[in-house]
Amino acid sequence: MLDQDGLHELESHCTQESPPHCRVACPFDLDLRAFLARMAENKPGEARKILERHVPLPGILARICDHPCENHCLRQSLGGSIAIHALELACLSADTAPGRTLPLPPKRFKVAVLGAGLTGLTLAWDLGRKSYPVTLLHTGTPESAVLAQYPQLAQSEGLRDFLAEDLERLGKQKVTFVQEALTPGLLDKVASEYDGVLVDADAAPDLGLEESAVDTETLVLRDNICVAGWKSHTATGHAFCSASQQAGQGRRAAQTLERLMSKVSITANRAKEQGALHTDLAGIASVPRVEAATALAGEPFYTPEEATREAGRCLQCECLICVRECVYMQKYKGYPRVFARQIFNNLSIVQGIHTANSLINGCALCGQCEELCPENFSMAELCRSTREDMVDLGIMPPSAHEFALEDMESASSEPCSLTLADSAVAQPAWLFFPGCQLTASRGDQVARLYGWLRETLNKGDKPGLALLLSCCGMPAHWAGRRRLFQEHTDRIRSVWEDLGKPRLVTACSSCLSAFRDRLPEAQALSLWELLDTLDLTTLAKAGQADTALPALFSVQDPCTARHDQAWLNAVRSLAQKCGVKLEEPRLSGTSTACCGYGGLVWCGQPELAAEMSAHRAAQLDHPGLASCIMCRDRLIASGKECWHLLDLLLPGGPGGTERGPGLSARRANRASLRKRLLAQYQGTTEEKPDALARVQIPDDLLPLLEERRILLDDVRGAVLAAESSGHCFQDQESGHWLGSWRPRKVTFWVEYEKQAEGFVVTDAWCHRMIVPGAGGQEAEEVVRTCQASMDKTREVGA
Amino acid sequence: MSLMEPSYRPDRGTWICGRCGVPLEQGKTPIFYLNSAFDVELPRCPQCGLTLVPKSLAQGKMREVEATVEDK
Repeated sequence: MLDQDGLHELESHCTQESPPHCRVACPFDLDLRAFLARMAENKPGEARKILERHVPLPGILARICDHPCENHCLRQSLGGSIAIHALELACLSADTAPGRTLPLPPKRFKVAVLGAGLTGLTLAWDLGRKSYPVTLLHTGTPESAVLAQYPQLAQSEGLRDFLAEDLERLGKQKVTFVQEALTPGLLDKVASEYDGVLVDADAAPDLGLEESAVDTETLVLRDNICVAGWKSHTATGHAFCSASQQAGQGRRAAQTLERLMSKVSITANRAKEQGALHTDLAGIASVPRVEAATALAGEPFYTPEEATREAGRCLQCECLICVRECVYMQKYKGYPRVFARQIFNNLSIVQGIHTANSLINGCALCGQCEELCPENFSMAELCRSTREDMVDLGIMPPSAHEFALEDMESASSEPCSLTLADSAVAQPAWLFFPGCQLTASRGDQVARLYGWLRETLNKGDKPGLALLLSCCGMPAHWAGRRRLFQEHTDRIRSVWEDLGKPRLVTACSSCLSAFRDRLPEAQALSLWELLDTLDLTTLAKAGQADTALPALFSVQDPCTARHDQAWLNAVRSLAQKCGVKLEEPRLSGTSTACCGYGGLVWCGQPELAAEMSAHRAAQLDHPGLASCIMCRDRLIASGKECWHLLDLLLPGGPGGTERGPGLSARRANRASLRKRLLAQYQGTTEEKPDALARVQIPDDLLPLLEERRILLDDVRGAVLAAESSGHCFQDQESGHWLGSWRPRKVTFWVEYEKQAEGFVVTDAWCHRMIVPGAGGQEAEEVVRTCQASMDKTREVGA
Repeated sequence: MSLMEPSYRPDRGTWICGRCGVPLEQGKTPIFYLNSAFDVELPRCPQCGLTLVPKSLAQGKMREVEATVEDK
């Protein structure tokens, strides 16, 4: 079950909320993305608010900052870093009012600063804004130290006098400037009189404090004294003033002193530990930096129009690498970090609506996000394991997967399931497991392929090919039904053992992954790998006349085979042997996209599944060539021409445009293949009188029934149940009859006409709610149980 | 309960009970889903209690309520 620690671990793998590289490099944590976005909108007033929220002495720093942000800008290799420094200057030079600080009640702790260099001024700014009384002790004039460090501040030359403006604002923040000789004796005196003391090392050289004497993280010298602001040195030992370093240290010392004075930990949670933001630069065009037409005080100076253009080059870095490719994540409007939190909350609530149920059940579990994510965040694993938790907690909505699980059961039991031993060999070397969907869609090809494979393998050194028609149990795995999945694969294991443990061959990548997980001893391999080792000349002859094939196919790899290199290679090899050309889509192989069948999304959220199909179809430039029948059938349903690999190997199949069968037809096809194979290999015929045949269902009703998840057998069953029990109504105007039937957790209603030769259905609908007096005899027991349970509740309440 | 309207009539037609041959009348009945129950009025046979669920109800309000109850 997902707990807080698990959630934090998951969250740490999604970097979408991590700050961009420029912001990480800024010692003041300036939200540069927002600043540049406002500048790009030509809103310097808004941009200034952001700047002043983060940056101390904004005017001074706009002039002198050595902008480490620009060195980390991802535009650097795509036309040059954004000219952030020049944009800050342009922003503060625009005719906008400085932000007003809210008056706060004065703090009781007093702070002294020795030395009015950039570090001292920064600390005075930061703590003064928070209403700490700050006394700034300096030699010379208040500005002489910072001017000595940054002489360019004296040259306005058309720019505003930012130094004077910021010093004036310091005064308004109740920072008191006092001229004093900065001696070691003074330091001892202020340390005892004030609650916190900063020594600006560069502006108070007489104190002789070395950088090595302080703690590098907190800048504490001893007790309540911080020292900061030393000059930086080049590799060759040349000393210079770095504004970002000196002001950055002032900011850091201010944070330390505030913590010291408040008597809280000076080290806890200071640095935010977040993974670096990943940003995909593929496909981003290079745009050169905007050159300013004029320069002021030796600096490029942007006009508002130039500033807007330059800020517009900002990439507004964000990750969303997975979201950009995933219809599901786009629909739920978030990214994995947000989803993980929503899913955690969904599991945690005791009472109320589980609002993230559809989020959890909407994922196709295809695993593409994990492949694309630089940190390998897997929404598939998160959603699938959460589904297991929901089942364990009893909060999984029954309708989410029930239809698919019933289909799985139907495919794995009579009249669809079949085990055929190989009569020619006592102990077959192979067991062919075509998979329930290939059986449902391509019964004829499965039968022909089985015949050919059996004959071919029996000529080789590992003869004997048994056959098992069933579902592999993957729907249970996708639905989070751990026990059902285990029971199902145990059943298959038992059949496999009875057959003498032959090697499993399957045509479905989902079956393959289920067997590799639960039946590893069977050494399952794909049909394509096996075929690729055989002489295929006689196989094509087992088919009919060759149909016209497209000149070029886009290969559609199934998502469950993305890590199965042998599958991927064999498909390409077979296609080549069949003489067709393949194009690899942008996302192919390990990064292939789901067709919408995965994760049972088709069952609970069919519209989303259809969007997934259409999205994938649009990524294939040419007719698709799929090696998974559900990829093929779903892409065709979305209007895309798509062929199955068997169409190349066994010509004469449905080709690339004929739609796959509907839900009812799939079940009927499975049953029909079973009959055909039984007759062919065991001479058994099972002809039962079919009462259901008397119920006719017009073709135009079929799509509506599919949409409503009503099977033809349910419709026929409802008519016959109504007729035999008399549980029905009649409309005196139309003469139509209406009957209901509840064979399982759904009540089916069927409206029909009686005709001489039988019944003609005119409409059908269904619901899951239990209604006393509806659903026929089959519903009576469940109604009684519900009523008894409600009566009991009432008694307890009374 | 507030999730469901009080009364639902057949979408069209004049329906009689196939078993008793008498016209249906609106009757109050509890309907159930998971651990919830709702009282609604549905067309039913006054003699044998056979109850009709109109298509518009099954595909409309009932589906909504089913989804809400499932997410509870």
